[in-house]
Amino acid sequence: MTSSGHQPHAPAAPVAGGPILEARDVHRTYRLGRVEVPVLKGASIAVHPGEWVSILGSSGSGKSTLLHILGGLDRADRGHVAFRGEEIVGYSPRRLDRYRNDHVGFVFQFYHLLPELTVLENAMLPATVGVGMIEWSRRRHEVRERARALLDRLGLSHRFRHRPAELSGGERQRVAIARALMRNPEVLLADEPTGNLDARSGESLLEVIAEQHRAGLAVVMVTHDQWVAARADRTVHLADGRVA
Amino acid sequence: MGVYVSLLVRRYLTTRIIPLIAVGAVALCVALVTVVVSVMSGFLENLRNSGRTLMGDVVVSYPVQGIPWYEDLIADIERLPGAEAATPLVDTYGLVRMPYPDGGNKDVVTAQVWAIEPDSFARVTEFDRTIWWKPADAAQALAMAPDDPRRTLTGKEYGNAKAMRDADTGAPGALLGMHVSVVNQRQRDGSYRPRVDRWWMPSHEVTVTLVPISEKGQVSQSNSRVFKVVNEVMSGVFQVDRNRIFIPLKDGQELLRLDEAPVVDTDAEPDAQGNLPVIGTSPARATQVLVRAKPGVTPRELRDQVTEAYAAFWGRKAADRSVRVRPPAPDYVTVQTWEERLRDIIAPVERERQMMRILFSLTYLVCAGLILAIFWSIVSEKTRDVGILRAVGAGRLGVLRIFLAYGLVIGAVGSLAGAGLGWLIIRNINDIHMALGEDAPAWSWIAAYLLAALAGTMALRALVASRVLATLLHSVAALVLAGIGTGLYLHQGFLMWDPAVYYFATIPSQMDWTNAVVTCIGATVFSVLGAAVPAARAADIDPVRALRYE
Repeated sequence: MTSSGHQPHAPAAPVAGGPILEARDVHRTYRLGRVEVPVLKGASIAVHPGEWVSILGSSGSGKSTLLHILGGLDRADRGHVAFRGEEIVGYSPRRLDRYRNDHVGFVFQFYHLLPELTVLENAMLPATVGVGMIEWSRRRHEVRERARALLDRLGLSHRFRHRPAELSGGERQRVAIARALMRNPEVLLADEPTGNLDARSGESLLEVIAEQHRAGLAVVMVTHDQWVAARADRTVHLADGRVA
Repeated sequence: MGVYVSLLVRRYLTTRIIPLIAVGAVALCVALVTVVVSVMSGFLENLRNSGRTLMGDVVVSYPVQGIPWYEDLIADIERLPGAEAATPLVDTYGLVRMPYPDGGNKDVVTAQVWAIEPDSFARVTEFDRTIWWKPADAAQALAMAPDDPRRTLTGKEYGNAKAMRDADTGAPGALLGMHVSVVNQRQRDGSYRPRVDRWWMPSHEVTVTLVPISEKGQVSQSNSRVFKVVNEVMSGVFQVDRNRIFIPLKDGQELLRLDEAPVVDTDAEPDAQGNLPVIGTSPARATQVLVRAKPGVTPRELRDQVTEAYAAFWGRKAADRSVRVRPPAPDYVTVQTWEERLRDIIAPVERERQMMRILFSLTYLVCAGLILAIFWSIVSEKTRDVGILRAVGAGRLGVLRIFLAYGLVIGAVGSLAGAGLGWLIIRNINDIHMALGEDAPAWSWIAAYLLAALAGTMALRALVASRVLATLLHSVAALVLAGIGTGLYLHQGFLMWDPAVYYFATIPSQMDWTNAVVTCIGATVFSVLGAAVPAARAADIDPVRALRYE
């Protein structure tokens, strides 16, 4: 884990013989009123550096929950989740926030861009978290240049000043990818990234992810689409809260 | 503050309507408190200023009978380290026969008559400043209306006023409070004109009738004297300007029989003409001695010095066997600061102001409540944004800070806007008041009706297009505008500030900046407190649920 916290990382160095991100025997139960709904019942998965893993499963199988737990957005009730061999389940809330900011990037089905911010500001958002004004005045130019370069690479150089509402679905998802890559994470966690796109935009987006993967980024992608899952190095099936 | 916090606060403020409503609500609350408390503070300040302006810093008083040997007392007082000057005064009530109307049945008014020595009185009070009819200097003339009578003055009236005598005829002069004559009319620019030109007071005479009171407390034969009105005075205190007239001290003493007079031996046998033998002289008397403090000396310090000086003065006169008429003993003479003399008026107003501050502090709660309600709705709407922020690494504290900073900025901007609005209202309060006192101009209600017609047309168009919200909004706008138009058409003009009730001719228009700053800080703090509950709620939102929120 980086100690400076906000310097973009180099691609993750392979962990000798071990996975970069691993969940073992993870349980998670949600409470809906008085009813307890077990979503994960001992799910396990290991993602190695530079590997692209697709999690395939039907609706309600716990794919997104597993992804959220791997990304530190949600906590497992039981089981182990490790990043580079280090247990993250016991992280303090503050350290978990830093983990999300430093090491993983999320992409969601519904883009989840902040509507008040421009494309450029949305892409820069992770780099503004946990940064004070003084440090920002020193690094603003560098961060802006990186965001521009990312958006440029994703074909959005003409959209910097636009708001999300002015973009197509494919463009919005590319902005979301730029945001996820902004802090140069080791793992990209994508939750149905093509689920809300037409076939052409979906294909284009998968190509963007594939390009990042070829550059060394580990990718965990949740999908229920076998054709999309097939782009991954490996596919795991989740059914009834367990990896089949 | 984190960079994303300031970025989001800025964007939430500039891209949305709801925060503007919150800013407007805070601004109105602050403006309300600022205006009300400023007017009350100004009123209190005017009371204090007028007290000092009209009577100096300390008053030595022995009403009706008056203080004999007052010249010696004044000489003693003027030797005090804290006294700048002192002046004698005879204060009484009398009748004033005005020169109007035409015919024999003239108007007679009761008035407080102050008999003064103009030179020393001007050294103790700001008497010169209150003399109204005096030639304007170049700067004043620029601000005067073309028909202001002061433009045509030669300075004779001012000279006569300072001497309290008509230079041409040598007749004793009187100065009338500006509102003693019912003919004088205040104009919008604050100047005065007689309703009928020929009743401009300085060219007329009045008859003053005073009633002396004997040592036994019995009413004696009244005395009258004709005075030439040499000028009028405008102190700004309506009660004074409506009731008070000034005459020369000597005339006042003579009319009240407080002037120097022989002392006769009432036990002796009268001579052949029936006169009792004269055994001495009773000195002239003054019912009050007004004293002005030197710069840096407080009225209370001066009061203590004057009290001691009076005791010494009385002791000296009491010990002097040649003195037949002794001054009243110190126990029966009142020595008060101007503030103590006005305590009956000032203390209730101070209490009222304090009460208003407490009552209006409820507006802070209104601010907090408004912000809470508005932010609750904003947080509900922004639930997904919270999830997004948490996904990119923002912590609960960061989310909390966003909404607290948002509340802080809304409170601060609203407070500043409210203080500005309050300042504008206070600065122009007398113009606003005068405008309310007149009928609304025709263009205003015609414009309101035209706008109402326009809004009505748009409501009809929206109705035809089946747009419910637009129909409703335009209909409401049309009704409100029609109501405003009707209100303006029927507006007959009314004046809320009655000088007869509120002492002063004009509404105090000084901004109470201390109170404004306290109000701004209070409103800002309560805005943050109002934002705290929704902010905590936002911080507690589970990011996973937030991302699934629709």
